Amino acid sequence: MRRWLGPLAVLLVCAAGVHLAALQLAPGFIMSRAMAALADKRVVLHGFTAPLRVSPQTQNVVRSSPDLYYALCRYDLDDPGAQVTVRMEGWPDYQSLSFFDARTDNFATLRGTGQDVAVRLLPPGSTPEEGAIVSPTPKGVILIRRLAPDAARFAAATETGKGDRCGLEHKVAADPGQG
Amino acid sequence: MRRFLAYLFAVVAGCALGLGSALAMAGLWPGANPLAFGDVEVDGWRSDFAIGSEAADPYTRARVARHGLLALAKTEAVYFTRTADDAGQPLRETCRYRLSGGAMPAGWWSVTLYDAQSMLPPNTDEALSIDASRAGAGRWEAVIAPERPLGAGHWISSRNAGAFDLTLRLYMPEAALLERPLHTLVPPQIERIGCDGEDAA
Repeated sequence: MRRWLGPLAVLLVCAAGVHLAALQLAPGFIMSRAMAALADKRVVLHGFTAPLRVSPQTQNVVRSSPDLYYALCRYDLDDPGAQVTVRMEGWPDYQSLSFFDARTDNFATLRGTGQDVAVRLLPPGSTPEEGAIVSPTPKGVILIRRLAPDAARFAAATETGKGDRCGLEHKVAADPGQG
Repeated sequence: MRRFLAYLFAVVAGCALGLGSALAMAGLWPGANPLAFGDVEVDGWRSDFAIGSEAADPYTRARVARHGLLALAKTEAVYFTRTADDAGQPLRETCRYRLSGGAMPAGWWSVTLYDAQSMLPPNTDEALSIDASRAGAGRWEAVIAPERPLGAGHWISSRNAGAFDLTLRLYMPEAALLERPLHTLVPPQIERIGCDGEDAA
């Protein structure tokens, strides 16, 4: 009986380790596959892509709503000297600007019903600044939602979306001065 | 040699057990019902208010990544899902249902039909949801059926959906909904009208 204790302990340790690792890695794995799929569907890096109205034929991600306009921007802040400047054009009905990190966390959402919203996204570890949000991971997705439950309002939202911006910039290095 | 094989079997079996249990407990196992989870239930509509937040446990996080990717945190929106009618029978394409409700404690709401893969079912009916702007103020009603029923005001198409579920989105939820959902939310009812091969109820 005792000779099975070693293999049994190994089995339990492996089971627990793989169980925890699978749970930890699953969101990042799924998100990376989703981002790759979005790239394949021409969702560009550092730019909002003009969306098609959500339908069974155009849906990109699970459980998207046919009543909403979704504009996506993938970002990559691997360069610690970079930042993403984001602007959401005003829309008279509900709209929001939401940020998702590489582990699928919705780490910030700005509501902008009836108003423009402008914000900067900074790399992980950046010092918090006014008018800026620090991303928990270098890569992620920015998503604009606009309430547009019919074809006419979706067309209007698309027109409004031409004013949206999502661009990568390099921060200007501070002048080191004379000591 | 036998000892080596015993340890090798333990490693392989342990890895398989760990992976399988993680997938099953997170609702990711093929065929598992990913919606049989959540921490809030109101009249059969289930939700998990930890969706989208860092507070979500690893099981919720993994499940949402697969079945609710890019979902918002609860301060902006909450999502309730229901897989059965008022009699507790699974929702399916071969039946017709009356979906009815009233005002919701949120700035905007919608009810959308999804298939078992969490996707909009493959049809071209352009009738997969009802929302606050179409339902209007006060009581509202919609028929869920694979074909547009004669005389129905609002129709949600279940054509090609197979076994399906409904997701209730509540955007800009009132604080009371987040604090006391059981006392605040009166979710839509789902009455089965009839099924293929049955007389209408």
